[in-house]
Amino acid sequence: MTIIDQEEFVPKDTFDAGGFSSPFEKRSKWSKLRRIPLYLTTIIMVAPYYWMITSSFKSVQELQKVPPTVVPNKWLLVNYFNTNFGNVNNNSTDPSNQRGLFQRFEEVQFGFFHYVLNSLFIVVTITVATMLISSLAAYVVSKHRMKGKRLIYLTIIGSMMVPWQVGIIPNFLTMSNLNWLDTYWAYIIPALPKAFIVFFLVQYLSSIPDELVESARIDRASEFTIWWRIILPLLKPAMIAMMIFASIGEWNNFLWPMIIANSPEMWNLPVALSMLRNNGAGNIGMQGIIMGASLLASIPTVLLFLVAQKHFIRGIALSGIK
Amino acid sequence: MLAPFVLLFVAFSIYPIFASFRLSFMRYNAICDEELSPCGSVRFGNYYRLFFEDDRFHKALLNTSYYVVGAVSLTIIASLMLAIALQADTKSNRILRVVFFLPSVTSSIATVLVWGWVFRGDGVGLLNGVLAAMGISPVEWLATPALAVPILVLMSVWGGAGYGMILFLAGINSIPTYYYEAAMIDGANPRQRFRYITLPLLKPVMTYVGITSIIGAFQIFEGVYLLFPTSVGSVGGLQDMALMLVPYLYDQGFIHFRLGYASAIAWVLFGIIFIISLINLKLSKSFEDLR
Repeated sequence: MTIIDQEEFVPKDTFDAGGFSSPFEKRSKWSKLRRIPLYLTTIIMVAPYYWMITSSFKSVQELQKVPPTVVPNKWLLVNYFNTNFGNVNNNSTDPSNQRGLFQRFEEVQFGFFHYVLNSLFIVVTITVATMLISSLAAYVVSKHRMKGKRLIYLTIIGSMMVPWQVGIIPNFLTMSNLNWLDTYWAYIIPALPKAFIVFFLVQYLSSIPDELVESARIDRASEFTIWWRIILPLLKPAMIAMMIFASIGEWNNFLWPMIIANSPEMWNLPVALSMLRNNGAGNIGMQGIIMGASLLASIPTVLLFLVAQKHFIRGIALSGIK
Repeated sequence: MLAPFVLLFVAFSIYPIFASFRLSFMRYNAICDEELSPCGSVRFGNYYRLFFEDDRFHKALLNTSYYVVGAVSLTIIASLMLAIALQADTKSNRILRVVFFLPSVTSSIATVLVWGWVFRGDGVGLLNGVLAAMGISPVEWLATPALAVPILVLMSVWGGAGYGMILFLAGINSIPTYYYEAAMIDGANPRQRFRYITLPLLKPVMTYVGITSIIGAFQIFEGVYLLFPTSVGSVGGLQDMALMLVPYLYDQGFIHFRLGYASAIAWVLFGIIFIISLINLKLSKSFEDLR
């Protein structure tokens, strides 16, 4: 695991700004003990994940144990797929006689995976489309002389101050008027204009010399060619950072999908998860299934982060320093 | 070329701001039937009711204030401490940074659901299980009004500390090392170096982390919605113990369909965030002038 690539902004000799240790001062045995609170905190950080993973593999009987078991006695897949469900000899009052996660959501095709596909489709579409229109806009704002450009840019920056919930009701009414409620349009179209991405890309473009664009114009390259051939390749690191940003945000989006998606076919993963929870709130047996669903819903974004953490972290760090 | 973005931006980001401002002075419910449920201007009626008559809103405002103060201050402290503790670029630190950052990329619904089980009221909950092992009887965590906001604060610090840590790390790493070298030659001890070099130079990052986490904290929704449901299909939990602004907005707008009233709540939320951001910016500016 290579976490958080620091080559760009860290001095090579690891220097401790907190001053807890330095090459010039004697390291005492206390310096090791000092890290004990850190390790305790780490346990608290990891505990929910550990719990989520292990409980999804426990049997219903084991889930009901007081106090709960730390390590599953037996790693089982019943919460995902219960082969015994519907068995004639099964006692119907037996709490373990319930559907596994993949045997639920029968009202939609592919069951649980319908929501995985829904989420994937929505996230990919939004991310690709928003990056295209944002980079176009950033290119114009950054490299064109145009009347009113400054006003547009200031409006974009100013809009970042407004919490998105302010617009939630008019946007809902717009969706309703367009008859877009319960369609993918309502997921995708309002999610496309992302002020922060344009702002970030404009910032990034400002460090790229105008001459590059000017010389292309002298060579009679069309504006779209300049954008596609020159600007996009130069923007690649910033684009990747923002793509990860946008896709993780959309994957985890909950409030807006809950408002616009009424029929089970249109739910995304978080909404489907919350529905599982609403149906099985008090039922301990359901918890293993809910944990399994939570685990599956978390894996894609965590993987994406682990694979692309270098770009992601740089994006966050840049947004904070500027 | 600017057109696709600008059109969408105006339609779904700018127009809604003005539209919800207009709605906030109206009685509006999307049906707008003359006899059944008329729509129309109520002037400042919505705001009057919010500030002077609506006890649920007062409760939501109070809870949100507690929550924001607790979550933001603790998150900043925790992330600064983490950034300092994990500053050295060693292998174990790199792994720990990943661990602390994971909640920022995990589905908030998933983490809320796990926390819901940690805080389950019966003996099966994780925390009550730990208590049981120590011989203490189970606590009804999520049904104790005094614990509602602290639990949400804890979840927020758990989820947000890693994000702030990354920002602080970037800030710390951009401080030139010769400041520290000079200070050490002058005989400054680690605490002094932190107090007089690291902390002042981190002020811009601090302001940024402060503003973003305040804005984020005011928008809390998932934790309240999933952990504190009420039997009547509303949100907020027992005696509205965990009711906050955005969940109340959702409750009024999308459960009761009082869209005008909910717009007024949205504008109050916006107003608060706007004022706090301004104060924060002003304060950090005046601090800079002082030095």
